[in-house]
Amino acid sequence: MSNSDLLRMTIAELAPKIQNKEVSPVELTEAALAEADRLQPTLNSFITILHERAMDQARESEVAISRGEYRGPLHGIPIGLKDNLATAGITTTVGSKVLADHVPEGDAEVVVRCRDAGAIFIGKENLEEFAAGATSNNPHYGAVHNPWGLAHIPGGSSGGGGANVAASVTFASLGTDLGGSVRLPGTFCGVVGLKQSYGRVSQRGLMVTSFNGDHIGPMTRSVADSALVLQILAGNDPLDPSTVPVPVPDYTAYLGKSLKGLKMGIPSNHYFDMLDSEVESAVRGSIAAMAELGVEPREVSLPMMEYIGAMRISAMADGVVTHEPFLKSHREDYGPDVFYRTIPGQFVLGKDYSKSLRVQRLIQEEYAQVMQQVDFLVTPTAPVPAPRIDAQYIKINGEDHRVRGPGSGLISRNTSPFNAVGLPAITVPCGVTHAGLPVGVQFITGPFEEGLLFQVADGYEKVSPSQGLRPAVGVGA
Amino acid sequence: MSIPNETLKAMIRDYNGIELSDEELKLVRPELESYFAELKKLEDLDLSDVFSGRLMHIPE
Repeated sequence: MSNSDLLRMTIAELAPKIQNKEVSPVELTEAALAEADRLQPTLNSFITILHERAMDQARESEVAISRGEYRGPLHGIPIGLKDNLATAGITTTVGSKVLADHVPEGDAEVVVRCRDAGAIFIGKENLEEFAAGATSNNPHYGAVHNPWGLAHIPGGSSGGGGANVAASVTFASLGTDLGGSVRLPGTFCGVVGLKQSYGRVSQRGLMVTSFNGDHIGPMTRSVADSALVLQILAGNDPLDPSTVPVPVPDYTAYLGKSLKGLKMGIPSNHYFDMLDSEVESAVRGSIAAMAELGVEPREVSLPMMEYIGAMRISAMADGVVTHEPFLKSHREDYGPDVFYRTIPGQFVLGKDYSKSLRVQRLIQEEYAQVMQQVDFLVTPTAPVPAPRIDAQYIKINGEDHRVRGPGSGLISRNTSPFNAVGLPAITVPCGVTHAGLPVGVQFITGPFEEGLLFQVADGYEKVSPSQGLRPAVGVGA
Repeated sequence: MSIPNETLKAMIRDYNGIELSDEELKLVRPELESYFAELKKLEDLDLSDVFSGRLMHIPE
């Protein structure tokens, strides 16, 4: 089997071959690093490639497996880490010039869990500056390019990870999602992106983050791989009070189960209001395909979504507090989008911050009620396919909307609500546009129902028109 | 709501110690305007009787 064939496999396909010693972690990691080096000038998906450390890890994995000490499906698998996840002894920039030389003393909890599971870290991946945006057009480390169309954004803020998984450089990448930053690279790069329930995965070691609603989640080439990675990440962290001690089920047990009889909620407002026509067509096709699988569609109404924009108020205030240590002392080191978007947070009044949190609660209540009526929700993941890197505005319903920086937010309008309510959400590829850009459909379940979420997403993935499609740029292309 | 440029500049200077030009204020305003726009939408929403959604953990 060629290196290209190996690198294009999913984790679920590859893991048994590593366990049976048919595939060498050392050779696999060498191949992944070679592709990372080859594609870096094209995709700009890494900030740091960890050549020596990755090979050290690979050699350790090979020795352990040869001794019969196989640790599970991530053992010997090359993955990527977004460069806002703390890695001991490895520069972690958060995509900023402010922290360009920052070397954490400890690992993020998710890094510890992946390392303990035997995963091999081949690099720290490029992202939006301070993970604060949806484009991954980084002013300090350069724009990340989408493997499906190099002139287009990969989505953000975890764009390096999305590009790497799509181009078969990494088998999985860990991203972070405060408003869609895993799911947007997922949809724009044609891969699976998961934001699990708030509290399901420790955030400890996620740097320069928000006070309210950040999540660390995986981007993978299949729903099954997403389940395998979440199995490693999920669970209570006694040192992170945001995690919840809810038992972690065997997620793979949900894969392949029938969807017949499940109730699918289709929101009648907000999520389908502002859509590119090709995105709407692809997602309506997904809904029809789900009905063919025996799912029962039901229209649901979410009137409180009229007020979802109020979540920006608390986000603005949180942002300025998060950046307070750096704003004055490192002003010249900030890119304009983050700097001018952060400053206005100082004007948010305490009473308005309180109002924002109360609106959040009302929206959470409304979703809780809706999730009593249906098993899951379905929406488009993003309202548009990947915009061009040089686009300042995108036009929807005749109106121009900013793509990035102050006043932007259209791209994340369908993903950010689930950060506010904390429900698990996953994007699955559901086709491509005439220009060859991927489109994603988003599924959402009740809190801590990731098993059901994987069941739904896996059932759809098997009938998706995206099956077998690959980007123009990638391993073997 | 419209805050004069000089007021905005003074508040940003006093709070953050950052001097901004008129041109730079134009880049700050879109986010500020979105804040005011969202507040406007909340005017008719009674939020006085909403209780906290904070999670309480029960040790395993």
